Amino acid sequence: MAMRAAILRHIRLPARAQTLAAAAAAAAPRSWDRSPLGGSRAMSSHGDDHLAKEEVAERVLSVVKSFPKVDPATVTPDVHFQNDLGLDSLDNVEIVMALEEEFKLEIPDLEADKIDSCHLAIEYIYNHPMAG
Amino acid sequence: MGGANAPRRLSGMQKQVLALYRGFLRAARSKSPDDRRRVESIVSAEFRRGARQVDRKNFLYIEYLLRRGKKQLDQLRSPDTTALSSLNFIPPSQSVDSRK
Repeated sequence: MAMRAAILRHIRLPARAQTLAAAAAAAAPRSWDRSPLGGSRAMSSHGDDHLAKEEVAERVLSVVKSFPKVDPATVTPDVHFQNDLGLDSLDNVEIVMALEEEFKLEIPDLEADKIDSCHLAIEYIYNHPMAG
Repeated sequence: MGGANAPRRLSGMQKQVLALYRGFLRAARSKSPDDRRRVESIVSAEFRRGARQVDRKNFLYIEYLLRRGKKQLDQLRSPDTTALSSLNFIPPSQSVDSRK
């Protein structure tokens, strides 16, 4: 029993993920019905804790908008960090690092160098099993 | 993909510089919030200065800066290091001369 409790403690979801999921559910009840990818998501094997694409997109955009050099009004899901927002490759690194913190991920260098737009960031994080 | 949004090709050296920058920002995360902010602002200023002032074809000098940066990063990673005050950043002109 003690062993079981110890294991359960370790595999328990972080409190934040649960509250976020609960908040998202409260804010957008049955949002999957309206989502274009809804059907496939409902059948997903990832489980309930996996982030919905809308939520990923929203949080990615809010991270990018809060970047000091970025004019929030120009940020859309399609913007390219360097071509459209006038950022340089160092800013690009900073944004990807900020996304890591937002979603509690560690993105390896090889992947991080490829994430150069909101679109790619959303895709990458949405497909990442550990994003929370 | 393609057109204006085609991925920019990074040279091997650019990737090394970006990886080093990432390394510094990661190491800064392990410090207290105040130290972290300080470290981030110094590191960011230093990389931006390099990006502005160092000729992108000056491979020898950039390699030297990379080596120096890696050593400084190792220092910063030690839990005892809380700031970068021990790292005296030498202006590029002087450090180039001193190596000759």
